[in-house]
Amino acid sequence: MSSELERRLDDLLLEAPEPETDVGERALARALRALELPVVRPRRRLRVVAALVAAALALLALAAGSLAAAGALHVSFGQVREHAGPRTLILPGGTAGIAAVVNGRLSVVTRSGFRLQGLPVSAAALSPHALYVAAGIGTSLVALKPDGRRAWSHPAGGTVVTIAWAPDGLRIAYVVRTARRLVLRTIWGNGTHDAAIDRSVRAVRPSWRADSLAFAYVAAGGRAVVYDVGHRSRSVVPNSPAGVSEVAFAPAGKRLALLDGRTIVVGKTRSRARIRLVGIGWVGGELAFVSRGGQAEPVRIPGPIVSFVASGSTFAAVVGGEEPRVVAGTTGNVATVLALPRGARVEAVAVR
Amino acid sequence: MRDPSDRELVREARRGDREAAAALFRRHWRDAWRAAYAVTGRRALADDVAADAFERAFAALGRFDERRPFRPWLQRIVANRALDLLRAERRLSYEEPLEPADARPDHRGGDRSLLASVADLSLERRVVVVLRYGVGMTPKEIAATLDLPVGTVNSRLARALEELRESLEVEHVE
Repeated sequence: MSSELERRLDDLLLEAPEPETDVGERALARALRALELPVVRPRRRLRVVAALVAAALALLALAAGSLAAAGALHVSFGQVREHAGPRTLILPGGTAGIAAVVNGRLSVVTRSGFRLQGLPVSAAALSPHALYVAAGIGTSLVALKPDGRRAWSHPAGGTVVTIAWAPDGLRIAYVVRTARRLVLRTIWGNGTHDAAIDRSVRAVRPSWRADSLAFAYVAAGGRAVVYDVGHRSRSVVPNSPAGVSEVAFAPAGKRLALLDGRTIVVGKTRSRARIRLVGIGWVGGELAFVSRGGQAEPVRIPGPIVSFVASGSTFAAVVGGEEPRVVAGTTGNVATVLALPRGARVEAVAVR
Repeated sequence: MRDPSDRELVREARRGDREAAAALFRRHWRDAWRAAYAVTGRRALADDVAADAFERAFAALGRFDERRPFRPWLQRIVANRALDLLRAERRLSYEEPLEPADARPDHRGGDRSLLASVADLSLERRVVVVLRYGVGMTPKEIAATLDLPVGTVNSRLARALEELRESLEVEHVE
C-alpha cells in the first residue's frame, strides 16, 4: 500500500496549482531589491557604519561609565555630520522600512518604495515587513497600506499615544489616552477584535516578545507587566523597578530589559549606570542604551526623513530640511533614537 | 549553449548581476511557491512565504556558501518561513484566523481525497510529506532543512504514510 500511496502522492503534489504570474513578478522585484543590500560590496558602506559605531563607542567610553551586567553594551551616538544630499537606500536583510514621527508628523520610507510624509499623527508603528503602518490619527487607530490608502480605521476612544505591532503581524498593542486615564488595548492586525487589556497604564510603548505570544508594558504603578495573549493573563515582572520608563524584549528569545532612570534590569541582573539613561534597545543579542549625556537629549529636526541607510545593527536616517542630517539608531522592533543633532526632536522611530 | 548552473548564477548574482539573479529566481520560483502552497494550503500565504523566502535568500546571498547547492538552501528558508507562519497562526486557533483557509486546496485535478488527507496531517508530518514528495527532497535533505535527525524525518514520514493509508482505507470502506 505504501508504495502505491507514495506514487499517488508524487502525482498528487505535482498537480499543485501554479503561482500567479503577477505574484512572481512582484516577488522578483522584491528579491532583486534585496540583492542590492551591501552583502557583496559592503566595504564602503560598512566604513560609514563602522564610523558611526566607532563614534558611539568612543562617546560611550567617555560618558557611559559602567554597567556590570555581562553582555550589556554601552552605546551612545554623538553628533554625526553627513554631507548634504540624498543617499542611496541600502537596507540590511530583514529590514523593510523605517517610520518616524518627527514633530508630530509621520515619515515612512519602505524598501518597496512607499514614502509617506507629513501626515499628522500621534503615534505610529510599522507592521512586519513594513507592509502597513499603523498610526494614531485623531481619535482613531488607522492602518495605512503601502499605497497610502487606509486599510482600516478603528475608533480608539481617545488619542493613541503609542503603538507596537507584534513580530508575527497578527496583533497590535496600543495605548490610548482617554479623558481620565491611559488604557492599554490590543487589536488584530486586520482591525478587528479590539479589546481592553489594562485600563490604567503608563504611556510607555509596549514591547512584544519575539514569539508574539506575550508583550510587556508598564502599569500605572510604574512596574513592568507581561501580558500573555494566549492565556489572557498578566503578571508583574519579578524584580521590576517601580518607575520603569521603557521595556524592551530581545529580538530573539525571552529576555526582557527594563529601564528605570539609571537602573537596567535584565532577568535577575540589575545594573546601575553612573548617569541617567533615556533609552534602551537590543542590538542583536546585546543590550544597547543611550544616556542623556550622550547627546540623547531630544532636539528638533526641521524636515522630514528623506532616505536612510542601514547595515548590520545600525541605521542612519537622512533627514531633510535646511540642512540634511543623520539620525542613528538601532534596528529591531523598537529603535531607540540615539544620535540627535542640535535642535532635532524625533518622537518615535521604528524599523522593520 | 548550456544553461548556467545554479552555482554560476549565484556567483554572478553575488557580484551584482541582476540578470543572473533573475534567472536564478525564475528557475526556482515555481518550486518554492508550490512548496509553500503545499505546506500552507493557501495561495495568499504561499505568495507571502515564497516571496519572503526569496527576499531573504537574496539578501543573504553574500553569506551563502557557493560550494553548497542553492535549491535545498532556498527550500529550507521556504519551509521554515511557512512553518513559522503557520505556528504563529495556530497559536490563535481559539479565535478565527485573519484569513480563512481554503476549504479545499486549489489543486486542479488530482486525487482530492488524498489531498484532503494530506491537509489533515499535523503540521510536522505534513511538512515532511510535502518536502519529500512535493519538493522531491531526500530524507537527508529534509533533515538538514528542518534541523532534525534523519531518523526523526523517517519516523515522521512513516507515520504520515501510515496515517494517510488508514485515512484512505476508512474512506474506501465508507
